[in-house]
Amino acid sequence: MNNRLETFVKDNRRSFDVMEPSAGLWAKIEQELDHKKEKKPLKLYLWMSVAAAILVVFGLGWLYAGRMQKGEMEIADVNAVYAKKEVQFAGLIIEKRDSLAIFASANPELYKKFTADLEKLDEEYERLKSELPASPNQTFVVKAMVKNREIQLQLLKQQLSIINQVDDYKKVNQI
Amino acid sequence: MQGSRAAQFELYKLYAKAMYNVSLRILNYEEEAEDVLQESFLDAFTRIVDFRQETTFGLWLKQIVINKSINYLRKRKMEFVSTDEITEVPDDVSFDHYDNQLKADEVRQAITQLPDGYRVVLSLYLLEGYDHEEISHILKISENTSRTQYMRAKKKLKSILDLKGVRDE
Repeated sequence: MNNRLETFVKDNRRSFDVMEPSAGLWAKIEQELDHKKEKKPLKLYLWMSVAAAILVVFGLGWLYAGRMQKGEMEIADVNAVYAKKEVQFAGLIIEKRDSLAIFASANPELYKKFTADLEKLDEEYERLKSELPASPNQTFVVKAMVKNREIQLQLLKQQLSIINQVDDYKKVNQI
Repeated sequence: MQGSRAAQFELYKLYAKAMYNVSLRILNYEEEAEDVLQESFLDAFTRIVDFRQETTFGLWLKQIVINKSINYLRKRKMEFVSTDEITEVPDDVSFDHYDNQLKADEVRQAITQLPDGYRVVLSLYLLEGYDHEEISHILKISENTSRTQYMRAKKKLKSILDLKGVRDE
């Protein structure tokens, strides 16, 4: 019969499992088992803390980036044309302020009053700027900011002409 | 049970030898078979919660051992003969000739001389008691391939034994 081999193996199955693993193998397994027991919780904690650290870093980064963006929002982010206008006004304002400062020594009291008015407008400008990021109507706020600059400029022009007149008056009287 | 080292040692004592031989028949390398044995017991002990009582612990462990052994063997790039050659059905082998002189040890030795693919299929079928359907799942080959491989393995085994017989006589 062709299944002699099968029968033979079946009858002598035990004689086929004769090889022995080395005697030290259980010790190795035992060692690994101890190792695993100790290591597993530590590893888990390690991974958890790493994950937490990453989350915290990303969270902080996100918050910081968000704040930076809020703080740094400019008119240009809303409307380029207004931004151009604003830059132009700001430049003129600096120019006029410098001119005004020349007369400061001659008319200290008047200069003090003028700068106080300008400071109020400046404060208003900063308030608008801080409102801009959260505002539901940013174009409106930007318009107000540009208008503020325009008023500052007008004010400076008037102040300059007044100071000029005062100066002329003083000079005439001196003669 | 998970915490009981004594119970684990009992299981080891009970199954280590049989499992070692299962792995050794597949791998033919003592060192690799020991690695498989170590990994399998560690796996079994750490995953004992997954063990459902549907089968015995021994059968469950044997599955782990066989899968790991096959993986080791695959790493060595063993390839099973493709199904293309199935039409050529090998002559069945008669072992009548060996009736009286067949010695388990000789057969065991002869099996180790078989090529990887033959040896694995023959071991799983003949010694571990899997049928061709189960072998096809374990090795991810077709049932037909398993059958042909087994037939060829048997033929090859006979020729190895023949050679030996001639030499021994």
